[in-house]
Amino acid sequence: MLLNAVIIILQEVLEAALLISVLMAISHTLQLNLNWLKIAVITGFIGAFIYQYNLESISSAFDYVGQEVTNALMQASVYISLVMTVFFINRTVSAHQEKMLTVFMSLSVSLGIIREGSEIFIYIGSFIQQDHLSSVCIGGGIGAAIGASLAALIYYTLINAPKPVLLVGGQLLLSLIAAAMLSQATQLLTQADWLPAHGAVWDSSSLISEESITGHLLYAIAGYEATPAPIQLAAYITGLSSIILLIASKEWLKGKYQHA
Amino acid sequence: MNNLPTLCLALLLSGFAMAETTMITLDIKNHLFNPAEIIIPANQKVKLLITNSDNTPEEFESYELNREKVIMGNSKTVIFIGPLPPGKYPFFGEFNPKTAQGVIIAQ
Repeated sequence: MLLNAVIIILQEVLEAALLISVLMAISHTLQLNLNWLKIAVITGFIGAFIYQYNLESISSAFDYVGQEVTNALMQASVYISLVMTVFFINRTVSAHQEKMLTVFMSLSVSLGIIREGSEIFIYIGSFIQQDHLSSVCIGGGIGAAIGASLAALIYYTLINAPKPVLLVGGQLLLSLIAAAMLSQATQLLTQADWLPAHGAVWDSSSLISEESITGHLLYAIAGYEATPAPIQLAAYITGLSSIILLIASKEWLKGKYQHA
Repeated sequence: MNNLPTLCLALLLSGFAMAETTMITLDIKNHLFNPAEIIIPANQKVKLLITNSDNTPEEFESYELNREKVIMGNSKTVIFIGPLPPGKYPFFGEFNPKTAQGVIIAQ
């Protein structure tokens, strides 16, 4: 039970932690203070508690697919917030850009914490009236610590890179995370039968199994799926190329104006 | 060609004559899935109606089916799966993986 708790909490924490570490690195290099993160964490945990408390009624909405619809909406919102975050990132940011950045970074993290945090509350909460509560808490703590360590590794790797590398690399990482959000949103809507399902485009589970450590890491960083549905793949590619196009346009426009 | 408009109308309306989606019920009790083995028609969308008869929540999860959902205690939910090519698709309860296990067989 302890090992199970480690794995479950680690999976939940990893996704949010990865996003937070990249945003923190960007925030650090642009010399923003961390108030956006503090607000995001507080609102995230409060939101997570409210969400899990009402999950039963939310879940039964829309003919029992309320959970998928709500989660898909949150994932899509994170995607949009990350697009806006990338939009406002620049080597030097004006006061206006700073303000917009903090709003969208905060929103992305907050929504992520609501989603992951609610599941953590539900999981640990389910053991309050059962045995194994202490081992679940210990396991959960270990899982969270592992997730935090991985996030710290990414953060320190990023902030020790030269500023241009950090900014472009960070934005590319954000693109991967954002595309994964969109892919997850479509998967949820397929599960809810709001979007058509047509089987899997490929099956790479023999190469990288989703259950393996590599699989879980790739899932958290880039939304890896061993058996993606066509519509998931379409959403991922569209989402990813849109942001990369945005990043490329910004770099091109910057170059253009510098030579003007 | 009086038959042409009728033919067009018939073709248009035939699109709405869809077959009923197969529905399968699954229950969770004492952290066990019942039935643990479910046979479904291959290459068709299937609706799973899952009831959680335990007091505690469970998370229905399957890597092969690409499905994942939390089901609160004493409640029910719906998950759509498929169309699946013939084969075996294991699923488990993430909160109690040692006991809550099952497999969906598409044939």
